[in-house]
Amino acid sequence: MSGTVLLECEDLVKVFPGVRALDGVGLRLTAGSVHALLGENGAGKSTLIKVLTGVHSPDGGRLTWNGQQVHLRSPLEATRTGIGVVHQERNLIPGFSVAENITLQNPPSHRGLVDREAMTAPAVACLAELGVDLDPQRPVRELSVAQQQLVEIAKALYTESRVLLLDEPTASLSPQETERLFEVIRRLAARGACVVFVSHKLEEVFEVCDTVTVLRDGKSVLESSPLADHTHDDIVGLMVGRAHAATEMRPRTVDHTATPTLVLDKVSTAGGHRDISLEVRPGEIVGLYGLVGAGRSELVKAVLGLDRITGGEVRVHGSPVRITSPRQALHEFGIGYVTENRKEEGVFLEQPIIRNITVTVWKRLAKALGFVSAREERDVAQDLVDRLGIRVTGLGQNAGELSGGNQQKVSLAKWLAADTKLLVIDEPTVGVDVRTKRAFHELIWDLARDGLPILLISSDLAEMVTLADRIVVMTDHRIRGELDNDRDYDRMSGRVIRLIHDRDAVRS
Amino acid sequence: MNRLNVTLGQGSWGGSALRRFSRSTAAMLLCVVVVGYVALGIASSGSFFEGPSVRVFLQYLATPILIGLAQMVALCVGQLNLAVGALGGFTACLMGVLMADHGVPAGVAVIVGLLTATAIGLATGVAIVGTQINGFIVTLATMTILLGAQYRLTGTRTVDGYSRTLRDFGTAAPLNIPLVFVTALVAAALLAAFMYRTVAGRRLLAAGGNPLAARLSGISTDRQIVAAHTLSGLLIGVAAVTATASLPGVNRSVGGDWLLPSFAAPIIGGVALTGGSIAVLGTVLAAFVTRLIDAARAQFSLDPSWVNLLIGLVVLGTVAGGRLHQTRLEKSATTDGAVLPQTGGAQ
Repeated sequence: MSGTVLLECEDLVKVFPGVRALDGVGLRLTAGSVHALLGENGAGKSTLIKVLTGVHSPDGGRLTWNGQQVHLRSPLEATRTGIGVVHQERNLIPGFSVAENITLQNPPSHRGLVDREAMTAPAVACLAELGVDLDPQRPVRELSVAQQQLVEIAKALYTESRVLLLDEPTASLSPQETERLFEVIRRLAARGACVVFVSHKLEEVFEVCDTVTVLRDGKSVLESSPLADHTHDDIVGLMVGRAHAATEMRPRTVDHTATPTLVLDKVSTAGGHRDISLEVRPGEIVGLYGLVGAGRSELVKAVLGLDRITGGEVRVHGSPVRITSPRQALHEFGIGYVTENRKEEGVFLEQPIIRNITVTVWKRLAKALGFVSAREERDVAQDLVDRLGIRVTGLGQNAGELSGGNQQKVSLAKWLAADTKLLVIDEPTVGVDVRTKRAFHELIWDLARDGLPILLISSDLAEMVTLADRIVVMTDHRIRGELDNDRDYDRMSGRVIRLIHDRDAVRS
Repeated sequence: MNRLNVTLGQGSWGGSALRRFSRSTAAMLLCVVVVGYVALGIASSGSFFEGPSVRVFLQYLATPILIGLAQMVALCVGQLNLAVGALGGFTACLMGVLMADHGVPAGVAVIVGLLTATAIGLATGVAIVGTQINGFIVTLATMTILLGAQYRLTGTRTVDGYSRTLRDFGTAAPLNIPLVFVTALVAAALLAAFMYRTVAGRRLLAAGGNPLAARLSGISTDRQIVAAHTLSGLLIGVAAVTATASLPGVNRSVGGDWLLPSFAAPIIGGVALTGGSIAVLGTVLAAFVTRLIDAARAQFSLDPSWVNLLIGLVVLGTVAGGRLHQTRLEKSATTDGAVLPQTGGAQ
């Protein structure tokens, strides 16, 4: 299996505003191997793939192709070099036929005219290799999600790449389709290509891969090592790391006899959630953990009335309710939602801090004819700025000028101003530095200590273990299990990851 | 049905294409046109089927078809062009003034007009891509500028008495089929061939259908936006030529009532506002439908306001119907997605 090295990268660095997405990644792809690229959410896998395929240009490090240094400036250049890819996002043109989508990168043409006849044969060949029966003339928009995914893989096969990167290719495939994909991967490797396989399903990785690279926090912690040398547990250990120590906080106890503030009882939604049950008690932090796309934010949005709940019951303070809008959720039931996407949904960037904070309480502050007293407004805002330690030059400063962490605090302050009875916090510390993260954790912890029930959504396992009292694990829009958190990071992370990866093992 | 397609293989392509057409907007519009035309013919006790009536009907169909196609090209990359009427009016007046006031021969004036319209389309596209300002705002600005320019050219007068040759072209109708109408059909056929058959046309549609995917496949979306506005400008130029040829004279009101029909035709014809789809036949047929409404008004001497009301209602109804269809598709897609992994997991 020790073929020639096709693509090698050393010390790759990619910086996005506020985050070092890649921070010294090394990878060696050899001909004839199937290379697993593993890591938890946000470890940098997708970024690495985008750098290798010319979507992002690296800020540091070297890329060599067949021993020669290369600079990939565009996806087209990467394709010409011989690097093919199936991205995680959907990349098909809905109105085009299957055949045309497959041949999109390099459509067969003659003097500027598209040759549709010549398109069909290679498309059918690529589909046949995957063992898929699809009418090549059918428009892609009529296909199911799984079929679309297969077309994307066929599209990557069409480019006949030496290196083929597959980012979560099996996410929506059935076991049989997955098995057929694995056969293709093995065949490609036997022909001297290198296939890079990214997946969250460890069983699949062990089934098809022979080499492994593990990323954590943008660094490669295991580099191009033979997979046979490692066990399942080794790999999980490398993925989550042992360096994270749970931070010490002031003790906090939860009254388990109190009526839960929020109860979901066998809830299903139009978005595909089935049989979701969970409860949050006063003073308790319940963590909702899952991989990206597990449907956590979607669940909360459905509870807040942004999507339809099709079955089961939602109870607030013990009585069944029907919430039809976030407005009703806030004013009638006191449920505040701190969104994940603060730039787009959480704060008004072009508005002063004071207005950002008081927007939820205007109704309460308003006097006759809707007049809001500027003084009262300022008092409310100043109080929260002090309490949360938001670093500002003045209340009139625009929220857009603040750092990411302070913006997040402003979006939290807005809900605290409204005297919420329940707070849903979605990915509170994505893209903020370690110090702010720590301050934020203390803030959330103290809020719960004062009796506020909090439903915390996070893909950061260390954060979960630090904050949550109970961790509810979700995959594929279903709850896989619930764990009492003993705040021992190694033990908890192992249990959570196992709950996600060995879905059959735990259905207790 | 899909299973059937697969087992029949290549042979079923023609069949499935026919079946797809029978369910398409174009097929529905074709029925409306035929039924409407026959109904009008019967209501007018046959006079509507006679040569002169047919000629007049088709004569004033050329411009709506062309401006509908011009708007469709902009829509296909997810843009819209508010300057359709202003650019058409300006180009018509430019050609009229060149011929009547400066004695420029018809052929040269037409070429100058086409080139000017294309160049203004190109400039609009470059402005949108270069400034990253929304196309709505940029075309709104070009519209206002062009309206001013048109007024500057003609003032309050009507320019007439220009080239005999162009006039003859405008009224010529061998076998009662006006040449301007033939011009519009030829333009539509060429556009269809361009969109369905050429690499450049497919790039336009790819960029409109999924900009990100197009970029990842090495297609520059910026270039496609510029190309779409340029092509839109050229089609408006052709529309201006047909208008100048068939109208008794050009003045500042030419193009003033083009904007609504330019949107109505592609939208009724089944073009999505989000980009990525075109319907040349649908747009042409939709222009027929709006022209039928107009003809019906003349036939039954209804109040002209009925025409706009009816067209407005048809547009609204089409969009609402399309939206309903879309949600139904999405719903069936999500149940598909939810069911598939389940059955897979059970096996």
